[in-house]
Amino acid sequence: MVQMTGELQLKLEEKKGRTIAKDAYFQGALKVMRPIYLDDSGQVCYYILNPGGGYLDGDRYKMQFALEKQARATITTQSSTKVYKTPNDHAYQEAEIIIKDGSYLEYLPDPLIAYRDAKYKQKNVFRMDRTSALLYSDIITPGWCPEGKHFSYESVQLINEMYMDEELVVYDHLKLTPSKQELHGLGYMEGYTHLGSMFIIGEKVDNSLIDRLYEAIYENTDDYKVGLSKLPIPGVTIRIVANSTQLLEQLFSKCHLLITEEWFETKPSFLRKY
Amino acid sequence: MTKSLLSLFQLCDSNFPTGAFSHSYGMETYIQEDKIFDQYTFLQWLTVYVNEQLVYSDGLACRIVYEALKDGRQAQIWEMDRLLTVQNLPRESREGTKRIGEGMLKLVQSLYDIPLLATYTEKIRNKEAYGHPAIVFTIVGHHLGVSSESTILYYLYSVVSSLVQNAVRAIPLGQTAGQQVIQQFQDTLLDATEKIKTIDPDDFGIVSPGLELAQMQHERVGIRIFMS
Repeated sequence: MVQMTGELQLKLEEKKGRTIAKDAYFQGALKVMRPIYLDDSGQVCYYILNPGGGYLDGDRYKMQFALEKQARATITTQSSTKVYKTPNDHAYQEAEIIIKDGSYLEYLPDPLIAYRDAKYKQKNVFRMDRTSALLYSDIITPGWCPEGKHFSYESVQLINEMYMDEELVVYDHLKLTPSKQELHGLGYMEGYTHLGSMFIIGEKVDNSLIDRLYEAIYENTDDYKVGLSKLPIPGVTIRIVANSTQLLEQLFSKCHLLITEEWFETKPSFLRKY
Repeated sequence: MTKSLLSLFQLCDSNFPTGAFSHSYGMETYIQEDKIFDQYTFLQWLTVYVNEQLVYSDGLACRIVYEALKDGRQAQIWEMDRLLTVQNLPRESREGTKRIGEGMLKLVQSLYDIPLLATYTEKIRNKEAYGHPAIVFTIVGHHLGVSSESTILYYLYSVVSSLVQNAVRAIPLGQTAGQQVIQQFQDTLLDATEKIKTIDPDDFGIVSPGLELAQMQHERVGIRIFMS
């Protein structure tokens, strides 16, 4: 068996109108902070943190979140995921996210920052059913290096697999390898530096909701470019290229607000981190 | 040229009526934004489209399906049919590809008696499969005894020749310019075929962000002559 650098399991259930942990387990370089209730909706919020501060050569992380009947949760990170240089072996994180029986998850990790010569692979496997709902986002920054050069990492690879009633319905695969690609150019990042993706899945996602999301975030501007499209299941994927994390977060917040207002008649709480 | 190559070549003709003439796979978005406006900029987009999307989806699928046909592993063919469809996140490209796949399937069944094609049709009717041109093409190539490598190369060529015809109409380019692109692109197609032979199956479905974004944006492009 592979030795895990960090492992985390979180099983959540709904009890008397509040979502609580049925089971929580973590070891190594992954930790979850105590649950926070940001409003009176009963929705729980968990912050994941990496006590080591970043991912290193050959690191292996494994997470599992399971939401049982009617559970509602926000899971985020305490700060960005930093991947330092990986001279020998890539860093890898795998997450299995199980959302069933009317449960709802907002999984909103902070941006990914890959340092010079870093190699990172991430795989998320979402297992849902027709009654559950998901809001997921990720942001890939151009990374960091002492000279300030963009895209100095070796490679960043993100995979999202989504299963609806055990059937694969979405396979999202992105791999950026700056040394082998003209990342700034046409067809790649189109001259932008940051890439954001959001998935909104749930029975209530229809064409009219997709139009409203588009109206909420579309602008005829050179500051960013947005595309969104209906998935083969009730759901939508949104991609945005821009030049800053802040701008992507603002745009995703607008989507988040629209969804929580329409679905739960609540406003999303500000995720205090600093 | 052998008879079987000639037979497969019929499917590569841009006049082969599969409906590919009505799909641009995001190229029209770039045309509307004045980023593709001549032979050079079109060639630039086409190179990225083939090397950063097509090889990891349709191209790799041709290879895997061909191997599955050789070894009689039918289940893997249907798995690739699903993967090809669900990795295609832009709705217009996904639905358009399915329509082309179904069109091609129907047409080749009037030309060849291949039991597997009937099975494929049946599965699509029962909603157990979606339909994809790369799979139909590979089944025919394998049936004709054309090698895996040539089947892949010819498939890529068929996609490119349709896109060039579409670019000639949409940009517009002269017919001569179109033919120059097809000629200049021959080495790229040979390189792409070589690359497909060595791609790790785990790299299936990789797509570069800009191409995909343009395919999604196409849904909201004002004046359009293509369905994707």
